[in-house]
Amino acid sequence: MATITTGARADVQPTTALLRASVVLLTIGTAAIHASLGGVLFLANAAGYVAFAVAMLLPGRIGPLRWLVRLALLGFTATTIGAWFLFGARFPLAYLDKGLEIALIVVLAIELWQVDGGPASVAGRARQLLKRISAPFLARPAQ
Amino acid sequence: MTRPGRRPALPVIAILLVVGACGPTAGAGGPPPSAPPGGAVITAEAIAFDRIELVAPAEAAFPLLFENRESAPHNVTIVDDADRSLFVGEIFGGPASRTYDVGPLPPGTYRFRCDVHPEMSGTIIARKASPYGSAALH
Repeated sequence: MATITTGARADVQPTTALLRASVVLLTIGTAAIHASLGGVLFLANAAGYVAFAVAMLLPGRIGPLRWLVRLALLGFTATTIGAWFLFGARFPLAYLDKGLEIALIVVLAIELWQVDGGPASVAGRARQLLKRISAPFLARPAQ
Repeated sequence: MTRPGRRPALPVIAILLVVGACGPTAGAGGPPPSAPPGGAVITAEAIAFDRIELVAPAEAAFPLLFENRESAPHNVTIVDDADRSLFVGEIFGGPASRTYDVGPLPPGTYRFRCDVHPEMSGTIIARKASPYGSAALH
């Protein structure tokens, strides 16, 4: 299968690139809508989405942790939808934004399955990462 | 030749520019519009109402002129102590204005707020009209 060469690495499949582009565009779209609303909460939310969009594009060291970025973005988006459902105002722009966010969750879920190997694989990676992070704290000096 | 490590710089800058350009824009400003006859007026600008207290006639419907001077969407909702909505105005982006027809409020003190930005809020006092003249509206 043909691959897209980025210069840094040559392992990005066209479907992966399409999914990644969709995630970034949907993330920018919802960030732009939140930024347009003004107010501290909406601007903080927009800044969060911008940070995720940037993290989805950055090469280098963040590459191996992209699964974690996807997972965090999925959680962030789900939390945003939940907060709107509980406290948010109902008006056309809000419904449009929720549409974008639901589409973002769907694309992230597809990417999680296709690129990261599904929830079981992601859970395994999360366990490994937690082990690696906690190892220095759990290691006890030999008696 | 482009160095691989620098390639994402352009998309990152583009993201920041696009989202930054979508921030709310302010309108022309200026003095608040005059209240409609027998009604009240309120203005929204810079994610804030221009007043924190409104006086309205009790037990009589009244027009509430709401001027939104910025692109961010706002409205005016009147709620009682238990946060039950007594009146919900249409949410709209500006610069634009709407005249809401607020139904009769029993005498008392209520809260008004923007449903999109609940930090924008104030107090509305519904007063019975004086027998010597109409209730002063602010």
